[in-house]
Amino acid sequence: MIGRNSSMLAALALAGCSAKGRPMTTLAPKSDLANWIQNLFIQVTLWDALVLTIVVVGFILAVFVFSTRVGEAAPATTASSDLGLEIAWTLGPALILLMITIPTVRTIFRSQPATPPAGGLEIKVIAHQWWWEFQYPDGLRTSNEMHIPIGRPIRLELESGDIIHSFWVPQLGGKRDVVPGQINQLTFIANTAGMYPGQCAEFCGLSHANMRFRVFVDSPDDFAAWDKAQLAGPVSAPVDDHAAAAGARIFADSPCTTCHMIQGVSKGYLGPDLTHFGSRTTLAAGVLKNTPDNVARWIANPTDIKPGANMPAMLLPGPKMDALVAYLESLK
Amino acid sequence: MAAQPKPIPMHQPSYLEGGGILSWLTTIDHKRVAVMYGASALIFMAAGGIEAMAIRVQLWHPDNHALSAATYNAFFTMHGTTMVFLVVMPLLLGFLGNFLIPLQIGARDVAFPRLNALSFWLALVAGILLHLGAIRGGLPDAGWFGYANLTERYFSPGLGVDWWVIGLLVSGTSTVLTGLNFLTTIITMRAPGMTYMRMPMFIWSLMVTSVLILIAFPALTIGLIFLLFDRFFDTHFYVASAGATPILWQHLFWLFGHPEVYIMALPGFGIISEVLPTHARKPLFGYPMMAYSMVLIAFLSYGVWGHHMFATGMGPVADSAFAITSMLIAIPTGVKIFSWIATVWGGSLRMTTALYFALGMLLEFTLGGLSGIMHAAAPIDLQQTDSYFVVAHFHYVLFGGVMFAIMAGLYYWWPKITGRMLGETLGKWQFWLTVIGFNTTFFPMHFLGMWGMPRRTYTYAADMGWTHLNQLETIGAFVLAVAFLLFYINILGSLASRDPASGDPWDGRSLEWSIASPPPAYNFATIPQVRGRDAWWILKYGRAGSRGVAAYMSGQAPQNPQADLPVAPIHMPAPSIFPLVLSLGVGTMGLGLIIDWYRIILIGAAVMILSVIGMGFEYPDFGEQSHDPEHAPSSGGIDLRKIGVWSFIGSECVFFASLISTFIVYKSRSIGGPGAEVLNIPLTSFSTFILLMSSLLMVLALAATQRGDRLWERIWLGGTAAFGLIFLAGQVYEFTSFYREGMGLTTNLFSQSFFVLVGFHGAHVAIGVLWLSVLLAAAMMGKLGKSRALSVELAGLYWHFVDVVWIVIFTLVYLMQAVSGA
Repeated sequence: MIGRNSSMLAALALAGCSAKGRPMTTLAPKSDLANWIQNLFIQVTLWDALVLTIVVVGFILAVFVFSTRVGEAAPATTASSDLGLEIAWTLGPALILLMITIPTVRTIFRSQPATPPAGGLEIKVIAHQWWWEFQYPDGLRTSNEMHIPIGRPIRLELESGDIIHSFWVPQLGGKRDVVPGQINQLTFIANTAGMYPGQCAEFCGLSHANMRFRVFVDSPDDFAAWDKAQLAGPVSAPVDDHAAAAGARIFADSPCTTCHMIQGVSKGYLGPDLTHFGSRTTLAAGVLKNTPDNVARWIANPTDIKPGANMPAMLLPGPKMDALVAYLESLK
Repeated sequence: MAAQPKPIPMHQPSYLEGGGILSWLTTIDHKRVAVMYGASALIFMAAGGIEAMAIRVQLWHPDNHALSAATYNAFFTMHGTTMVFLVVMPLLLGFLGNFLIPLQIGARDVAFPRLNALSFWLALVAGILLHLGAIRGGLPDAGWFGYANLTERYFSPGLGVDWWVIGLLVSGTSTVLTGLNFLTTIITMRAPGMTYMRMPMFIWSLMVTSVLILIAFPALTIGLIFLLFDRFFDTHFYVASAGATPILWQHLFWLFGHPEVYIMALPGFGIISEVLPTHARKPLFGYPMMAYSMVLIAFLSYGVWGHHMFATGMGPVADSAFAITSMLIAIPTGVKIFSWIATVWGGSLRMTTALYFALGMLLEFTLGGLSGIMHAAAPIDLQQTDSYFVVAHFHYVLFGGVMFAIMAGLYYWWPKITGRMLGETLGKWQFWLTVIGFNTTFFPMHFLGMWGMPRRTYTYAADMGWTHLNQLETIGAFVLAVAFLLFYINILGSLASRDPASGDPWDGRSLEWSIASPPPAYNFATIPQVRGRDAWWILKYGRAGSRGVAAYMSGQAPQNPQADLPVAPIHMPAPSIFPLVLSLGVGTMGLGLIIDWYRIILIGAAVMILSVIGMGFEYPDFGEQSHDPEHAPSSGGIDLRKIGVWSFIGSECVFFASLISTFIVYKSRSIGGPGAEVLNIPLTSFSTFILLMSSLLMVLALAATQRGDRLWERIWLGGTAAFGLIFLAGQVYEFTSFYREGMGLTTNLFSQSFFVLVGFHGAHVAIGVLWLSVLLAAAMMGKLGKSRALSVELAGLYWHFVDVVWIVIFTLVYLMQAVSGA
């Protein structure tokens, strides 16, 4: 059984290291932090494999080679101690553990710098039940989709708006809990452009499974462009787009404004900022693709998609809903 | 022995025979209590298994809606809570431990049989309370480790967490009583000649486990008490906006929780250490190392709780410290694995289902241990914790390690317990289906975790690449379910069968195999003399019976002790209904508190108090309750009641240490409102003086009792109680003056941790005063005196302990403030 498991382990390990088709894999590191962890993981796995081999070989010899079945013969030995053996299997594992402990402690200190790295980008991450808010030093505020530049140290300052959550983007490194009343840090440098999904990793109530997000690692130029576009106010609805213009009026007069901010339109802050809603790829904290149909579905009944969500259902007649969706999608 | 040996009766009625349902409700026989533990745990195991199957069905495909998010969350919470508190611990301790401790050490029962029955009924009440949410207010749904501040009423407004808090408090109380009882039994009631280094390894494991229980559970109790105050009395022990930190819960919970892992694992190790030698017809390899390694594991397990919290941001120094201590545990654990292999090596194996499960455990548990090393390496843990990797890890430890060991133990001891054999063919089918089902379910979880699937998510997206392995796991879970179905069929079939088991079906080595299956109510007709390790093996085969056995045997062994020695009259304690009634009272109180109906609380409290009084009147002389008061050959002259009180005091130390540390941490985090400057140092100095003087009077009272001085006995006892009352009066005055000055329970962190700490100490003083009053009443009726000096001594031990705790509180809470304020 175990032998089969080991060969399965080897086969799957080869297949499992690619991020293709498995965007949340921990085995395809895309940052310095994730790389350090991966290196340590490989070392420990090899030591584990050695120990497992010794135990399995010993087991097979003991059970199948160097023992008889009852009735066949009396026990070959009734020795109940062997000082040399016992010292060996105490010191041997101790040495292996020492070999594991040294790189472990080095990685611990390397991955938790006391001060923010020079030239780094500090982003405040605020976890809410059940969505993520990202605040950039230049005042930019976005939700559930974070953009960061490649090659620049990123320092995340993690805060909670309610209860304990955990920030986890597997390809960019290990998780860090978000704890009310304390600010935790996560420091890393992303090294490959791409979109990396993340998810809350600490059980946080009813919709814990629906607290997802995305991190986009951009080239420095792309990041600068994104930053600039997001800092600007919302794209005003084109004059000729009657539906979007009507939607803008519906939004401005609706209770949506209590919780959602659209720069220049509303000042709500309890829910995600919608100023550039149309530029995001997902909605409802990474649960749905950002398509007009999904937006309408979400507005009509949020708790159907995300049980326990605070957003109340908005019952709008079809044309009005279409107009509202058109307006939101126009906010690039 | 010159006396003519009496013939052994041909038919010894077994402990199962005779009496109706009432005899079971009132039983205090450790074997019957064990059977009730076992039956209830096997029922709860079916419930926990069904919850697990529902979880696997929900995860069959992405975006599934077979279960709602709420139901899924309740099911994984109840699955974990049930398996840990209502299945694994009751099967290991309540069932196998209870049944086997007296049998393996050559005793007639545990040290405190009535307390043992109370443990069971409390455990059952706890199990029922945990499930009552299904009828009213919802099942618990915050995870089995119920992290604060999700568990605050604001975030979990239903009754689910309330049932969980009360259920676990009752369950924890039951477990602590069991630990106290087991430890006392093992220390004081071993048969003559059974030194510590001759005890069966299962007994070693339970002795170490009992110590762990006593020092680990109080931390959970304190965590739950804070949560209870937060939910019912509006304090803010886990509310960050009040300056508190929800991380406090994690420290308290895991200070309990990691030792808890070993509370479950060590008895499993003990079982393996019994099954392997018997089935290999060899002594256990490396007995001293096996014993010491468990002691070392227990010691280390108390210093590794932080490895559950690497992601919380403890900082690199704490991370490194906890990583190193966690790594160290692998050394004694490795020693155990290798020693077990060496035990089998060269043996003559009897290939039974019990041995299959024991051998299976060696490999499955090794996998769990090796993935544990990955978690000890803190940076790796940051990728793996709270993912399916850690789910795989702890199932390899708790199922692959502990459940395999439990199955080995059940197949091994079932004939002794029931007098019936279990089906071996069905057993082997069960074993292979378990191995296939278990590994198919849990091995792929390592990969799901490495591929980023977080645990406790009721659904997942289709584009994550997790679907196929989840489906494989669900298929594995169904195979595992069939294996368990075969197990239930096997035990029911065995009970229905007429195929009796002999007293010693496996050619066993320890004393339980020297008596009939099932054993008679009194276990041993005569208490056996122990001549070495593997006591029964030596009695059977003597020095030369088996090659090599003589090497570690000492002294001359009689051929059959039961034929050699006379059968003395056997005193058995009488049954009692009060453990059941008392537990019902406790359950009623919990119920009333949760459904917010004060009349029910009062009824429950009345029932509880009346049963305590009833218990007191049932056996005014404690000796009536215990077995052969003169039979305590291994106690070294210390009365078992004294060991019991000392164990309790040890446990209480952790209880107060947790309260005091919380106070010290929270005092400096308190926001707004009054602080330590309100403390009235002169008044408290006076009451401290009074309390210290009461300890002096207590000493005088004991001295008077011991010299048989009836008059001064009454005066000093009364004086002690009176001084205790004066102390309490001072405390009442202090508390009311704080309330007048505007410092109430919920004012700020300082006030709530002050009131809870000092209040709990006050409650201890109040209980002490009651105890002294009962003694005073007994003295007035002339029922104390020289021969009962021990009763006064026990009260004195408790009283002095409570005073010592006060000295610590007075120094740390009051005097430190006076110093730092000056």
